[in-house]
Amino acid sequence: MSGDDDSSGWQLTESDPGVFTELLKTLGVPLVVDDLYSLDSASLAELQPLHALIFLFKWVAGQSSEPSSGGQYDPEFPGFFAHQVVNNACATLAVMNSIANIPGLQMGAQLSELFSFTQGMDPQTCGMALTSSDWLREAHNALSPPSAISLDGLDLPRTSEDAYHFVVYIPYAGSVYELDGLKEAPVRHGEYSEGGEGWVAKAREVIEARIATYPPGALEFSLLAVHDDPIPRLQEQLSQLQAAGHQSEASELVVRLATENSKRERWAFENSLRRHNYLGFIHALLLGMAKAGTLDAVKDGAKKAFQERIEKRKKGEAMDED
Amino acid sequence: MAETRLAFKAGRAFRRGSTNFVDPDPTKGAILLQNGEDGLLHFIWKNRSNNDVEEDLILFPGDATFAKVEQSAWGRTYVLKFSSSDQRHFFWMQDANGSRDEEFVGNVNRLLADPSIVPIWYSEGYNPNSQAAGPSTSTSAPAASSSQAPGSYQATPEELARIRQIVTSLGARGGAPAAEPEPEILLTDVLTPANLRPLFRSNPELVQSLFPHLPPDLPSPPNVETLERIVQSPQFRAAVRNLDMALRTGLLGGLVRTLGLPEEAGTGVEPFLRALQDQARREEGGGDRMETD
Repeated sequence: MSGDDDSSGWQLTESDPGVFTELLKTLGVPLVVDDLYSLDSASLAELQPLHALIFLFKWVAGQSSEPSSGGQYDPEFPGFFAHQVVNNACATLAVMNSIANIPGLQMGAQLSELFSFTQGMDPQTCGMALTSSDWLREAHNALSPPSAISLDGLDLPRTSEDAYHFVVYIPYAGSVYELDGLKEAPVRHGEYSEGGEGWVAKAREVIEARIATYPPGALEFSLLAVHDDPIPRLQEQLSQLQAAGHQSEASELVVRLATENSKRERWAFENSLRRHNYLGFIHALLLGMAKAGTLDAVKDGAKKAFQERIEKRKKGEAMDED
Repeated sequence: MAETRLAFKAGRAFRRGSTNFVDPDPTKGAILLQNGEDGLLHFIWKNRSNNDVEEDLILFPGDATFAKVEQSAWGRTYVLKFSSSDQRHFFWMQDANGSRDEEFVGNVNRLLADPSIVPIWYSEGYNPNSQAAGPSTSTSAPAASSSQAPGSYQATPEELARIRQIVTSLGARGGAPAAEPEPEILLTDVLTPANLRPLFRSNPELVQSLFPHLPPDLPSPPNVETLERIVQSPQFRAAVRNLDMALRTGLLGGLVRTLGLPEEAGTGVEPFLRALQDQARREEGGGDRMETD
């Protein structure tokens, strides 16, 4: 087995837009990541200018290392491309691959230094440089539960949620490129035209073609869009509209801003939940139940629930994995 | 007629070209260890979709071992490796519940070393890696001597009877996993929103006392709705699941001490809950208080 499966202190994170956006904030990058539920023009138009698409899917056995249809390996790719060297770091690696090639991107000093340092490196060395970056690892780990209750040392079975793989699609020098940390080189999927939807039209073709290669229902995937933070722009537009007295358009914007802000609050709530160690809370809850005298009844209920599950399993297909 | 000594769900994994990567094959399968009609131990991999035996390896004592692939991020990948050759067969556990992996793997290795042994199945609540000294702290397991080395185990007569029963049922079912476990308590079934909601609604004092245990950086100050939201969140549920799994390893003696509980509380879910009930009784200041109303 490859030695690069060692977690090297990188904890597993969730692949949630709130997590990615928080990571970008920590890196000093003013971009936002959102779920993309559809690749149709309307959904994409709201998110323009779109800088990268991240395609996440459950790792399917038998993945060949051939590039997906229509693409060709470009080992001479002059931009940034890092190999996935540590599995747990895959989310951060995808973020790095998705933003490193955006021209003129604003970013914090540490990230800027890291990108300078890795310039000209081959993908494997580049991946290792990222993985050995202490501050980057800390920024990454800040988004998962603290290791006091980490189970890495206890050899426990992992859930199947770990098996997500990330592939990044970006525009570069007039073509759409696929950056997959597990492939040997970036894959060039052909040119796009600047007009209309720009590169995303071509990316849509490539992604839809890829999805079509799987039997229907066999692929669990989601799409993330990396784009500019809309809030400053919306706020500016709002002040302009209000100043010009366009009340109805202004109220539409108010609604959009409110929706965006409540989403950010939900992300902030979820991120604070992600970083938290629940041991004290769990202890207090159970103690509370014991003191309220309900723990015995709850325990009996739990035993019954367990028994019912066993019975159900016996009746159903006995050998299916959940 | 071949006698199945043990069986469990497992899939195969194959090396990717000449790389160090091994890719799991999704085909549902099972590993069976059988005493063949030839009197030899067979390590078999069976395809569960069509019941075909696709691998049948004859193994002499000491030929091979079944080891965990430590570098597997997924954590449940194993390799059958041979003492006399470079041959490697990779497998991955397919039972959704991984808590018995150790048990199965331990027995595979015991049989590979000596096909005449009787597989050892853990009774409910028993974990040979438990740090607990003295009498057993779980409800039904027989007492384990505190002087035993971790991992070694001598079956008592009651257990031998149970083991015989399990081995027989294995044969009858033709390779299905061993006898059903007795009802366990999962922490995830204890700390359900349904169990917690009434607690929050009827106990304002408790609610207040819970706030200091919540994340300190919530975007707005907590209230009862926050509590309900949190106990339904995937993050909280994952923490409960993790604590449940960690308790089952029996290795949390040190951690539970930090909660003011005795070390035995870290040896399993039931000991943990019992110790908590003791702690609650002590804090309430009375030993006569009835637990249920």
